[in-house]
Amino acid sequence: MTGGPKPKERSRLALAGWLLCAVPLVAVVELALHVKQTSSDVVPESDWTAARDAVKAEVRNEDLIVFEPFWADPLGRRTFGDLATMKREGRSDERRFPRAFEVSIRGAHDATLAGWKKLKETRHGAVTVTLFENPAPTPVLDDVLDLVTPERLTVSRVEDGVEQPCAFQRGGSQGGSTIVPQGLLVPADRFVCGGGHVGVAVLHALDHHPHLCVYATPMPGASLRMTFSNVTFGSSLHGHSGIQWLVERTPTPDKVAVTFSAFDRPIGTHHHKVGAGWVGFELPTPELEGKKGDLVAEIAPSSQRQFCFEATTRREAAR
Amino acid sequence: MSKVDREATDAKDAEPPEETQRLNPAMVAAKAKVADAQVTATDPNLKETPKAPPVVPAGEDAKSDDAKAKTGDAKAKSDDAEPDALSIGQRASAWAKRNVDPLIGVGIALVYVAWLLGTARSLGFSRDEGFYFSASGEYERWFKLLFSTPSKAFERTVIDPIWAANHEHPSLMKSLFALSHHFLWQKWKIFEDQSTAFRFPGMLSMGLALAITYVFGARAFSRRAGIIAAVALGLMPNVFYHAHLACFDVPIMAMWITCIFTYWCAEKEGGLGWALAAGVMYGLTLETKHNAWMLPAVFLPHAVLVHGRAMAAETSKTARLPVPATLIAMATIGPAVFLALWPWLWNDTLPRIQEYVNFHLHHDYYNIEFLGVTYFGPPSPKSYMPVMIAATVPTVTLVLFAIGAFDRARVLAARFAGWFGRTFERALPWPKKTPATDPLHTDTLLFLSLSVPLAVFLLPRTPIFGGTKHWITAYPALALFAGRGFDLVATRIEALLREKTTLDATKRSWALAFVGAITFLAPFAVTRHSHPFGLSAYVPFFGGTAGGADLGLNRQFWGFTTQSLDPWFRENTKPGDTVYIMDTAWQSWQRMIDEKRTPPWLRGVGSPAEAEISIVHHEQHINEIDYNIWTEYGTAAPEYVLTHDGVPIVSVYRRPHGLLRGRGRNR
Repeated sequence: MTGGPKPKERSRLALAGWLLCAVPLVAVVELALHVKQTSSDVVPESDWTAARDAVKAEVRNEDLIVFEPFWADPLGRRTFGDLATMKREGRSDERRFPRAFEVSIRGAHDATLAGWKKLKETRHGAVTVTLFENPAPTPVLDDVLDLVTPERLTVSRVEDGVEQPCAFQRGGSQGGSTIVPQGLLVPADRFVCGGGHVGVAVLHALDHHPHLCVYATPMPGASLRMTFSNVTFGSSLHGHSGIQWLVERTPTPDKVAVTFSAFDRPIGTHHHKVGAGWVGFELPTPELEGKKGDLVAEIAPSSQRQFCFEATTRREAAR
Repeated sequence: MSKVDREATDAKDAEPPEETQRLNPAMVAAKAKVADAQVTATDPNLKETPKAPPVVPAGEDAKSDDAKAKTGDAKAKSDDAEPDALSIGQRASAWAKRNVDPLIGVGIALVYVAWLLGTARSLGFSRDEGFYFSASGEYERWFKLLFSTPSKAFERTVIDPIWAANHEHPSLMKSLFALSHHFLWQKWKIFEDQSTAFRFPGMLSMGLALAITYVFGARAFSRRAGIIAAVALGLMPNVFYHAHLACFDVPIMAMWITCIFTYWCAEKEGGLGWALAAGVMYGLTLETKHNAWMLPAVFLPHAVLVHGRAMAAETSKTARLPVPATLIAMATIGPAVFLALWPWLWNDTLPRIQEYVNFHLHHDYYNIEFLGVTYFGPPSPKSYMPVMIAATVPTVTLVLFAIGAFDRARVLAARFAGWFGRTFERALPWPKKTPATDPLHTDTLLFLSLSVPLAVFLLPRTPIFGGTKHWITAYPALALFAGRGFDLVATRIEALLREKTTLDATKRSWALAFVGAITFLAPFAVTRHSHPFGLSAYVPFFGGTAGGADLGLNRQFWGFTTQSLDPWFRENTKPGDTVYIMDTAWQSWQRMIDEKRTPPWLRGVGSPAEAEISIVHHEQHINEIDYNIWTEYGTAAPEYVLTHDGVPIVSVYRRPHGLLRGRGRNR
């Protein structure tokens, strides 16, 4: 037998021995973290309520309220109640809002507000409320979502040049089961065409976020024409479109085309490609700025049934 | 330390040329025992890891466990020979000493099953449980017929309609659920809830998994390693959740490790009895869940390793390929047991087997969120399995696993290097001393048991299915390596205490017990706290439940959290209220109503349009339902959000009073 290990090896073994002895410390740290995460890290409802009261005192109708991180959104909606409107929650974009209240926990932030000017920040326990100002808001003049009523919208199915009106119905929604995914819920109040419908719904888009939009079913053999009356035009027509997320997550060459026109003149066509997700478009309308008239949106024949879009007339940001 | 590691360190002596010349398992076992007897006090491995505490009188310490067992046997025989000389208590004591490992295993199992029973009432029913309750109810009808008019029970016109229920899965567990329900709820009224009777066999299978893990650990490494392995396996939040259920995931985990243990015993002990036992066990495993199809990937490479040289020698002599009896038994008795226990296969056998296989080969893909992305088909991200293991298995358990696995891998590598050096007559710089060979290749078997279920998730065509439960069969082996890791840690601490303190042996033992308790306090606290939201729980180093939400890890699946709304339902609903039950299966909802786990005055409905109250179980792909409810109720504000550690689990919406259906009030 030779002697024991060399000094270098001995010191390495000693270090390994000490490291082994330290393993129970991992458990101690794990326990300490667990205690913290299940007690002081849990945001109490009272903090959410305090944050709500603070926002409620200052918020204006045109302001945005966002909850961060996104998984905390249900908690925010629960506490903020009517302040968490569907237009705020199901927003298409942030540009229309002049200001935004970010209500956040765990240090999370909404990346879309990164370029906004921070005006104020207050803490309410574990909830932080930050008020931001939009450096370049684009105020909305008219929003087609507000016009989906029998008074402001007429819908027709156009096949071989023949236009058939689609009647407005108040009824029950269609959809829902205990199996997922289910597809976009057909809203209770809707225009019903032969093989299609138009109504306001909330789309689960490819980004998994909610988007309030006009659920307008393209039809394979006919166009769907929507005429929004008495629309105030601005310098541009902004819009977004999407298809139900399950359809979009498998991209195909299919497209859905929506053509906008006013005063019998085309404004432009937006093509939504399957797989694009919730995408925006902007069609300039400088010649229409300040005018009032009918806005026509016509969806070309397509087999993509779960199509949803929104459009607003806007004024460019003051520079 | 493995018994089979405790051989002489001289490589030449340790691997005599005739070692694997024959296939007789008994011979292999005898070799193992001879090797055990060659243990010397100078064996460095022995110093690292003490053997299990002696079960025979003091002074026998130097003997191997087998020798001790023999001593115990001899003593027992002596006891039998002189029955009058010993009291019943002494006989019981002797029996207990002879069976100490099975007793410890059963003790651990009983404690755990009691814990499961104590917490079962507060855990709602998952979707799949609902389907299995229903199928088991059908099978129970058949068993009643079998007990009353056996001849009728075997008629095809009776078998086919009954056993068609849920025939995409084998029937063993559902049959046990049915029998448990029949006897323990209906006949003997042992359980108050029908669901507990249905769930009980699943809980017992968790007990079996713990007991076998303990015994395997005690025999392969040490009694301390076995205990720690069982504790580590039981203190995983995901495992604890699944162990409650009338499902197949924990049962297949139990059968997986039991089948491997039986095979190991068959290889070790030899003889026809063990081979038959292995065959029967494999049949039961096949009849539990299709994960059993993967077991040949564990057994075949291992058998080649153990018997390969002998097989080659025999083949060169006789031109016939001899196959070990254990494998023959598993290949023949296994399928026979599988067919015999599944009445659905008694008619149109081949087409129905084909249908069963096809169902699983072409299984629907599930949506599951991982790091903020919902995956729905192959390939799954390569990081999915390792990240999910790291995020759901307590970190200290994984650290111990890493230590134990490294230790065994080091031994395997050293043995391989020794073999390489001898075979190619090359002097390698490492290892200086080659560990003796292990004729049973226990470490390799454990590594295969661990890696085969995990490797499937690295294949390009494997999708993410349903999270950790699909590789749950790997966890007993993971826990066994963790047990070995703790053995090393404890040995080191014990040495330190001996060197640096004046504590006597008893006090050192207490100190080590304290270290063990401290080490597993966090896994216990995490597991206990996770209930009844086991699938939402992530380990503290990942930030806990909120950390999992931050990272975009799956929150839950199967809609079982509906029951946790019960207190809110009781305070905030009235008779006749309709509830859209969302991801809850109808059978699960009905059972919750029947057992008053949710208020019996509620009426479940299938869409938000029909409901006064709608719930949504938070998962990324289920956001769609959330938004559809907004469309229907015209509001984005839930009335209540059920949370776990501040993270939303279920949102509850109420149709606004006086609001017309359809367009919202507050867009």
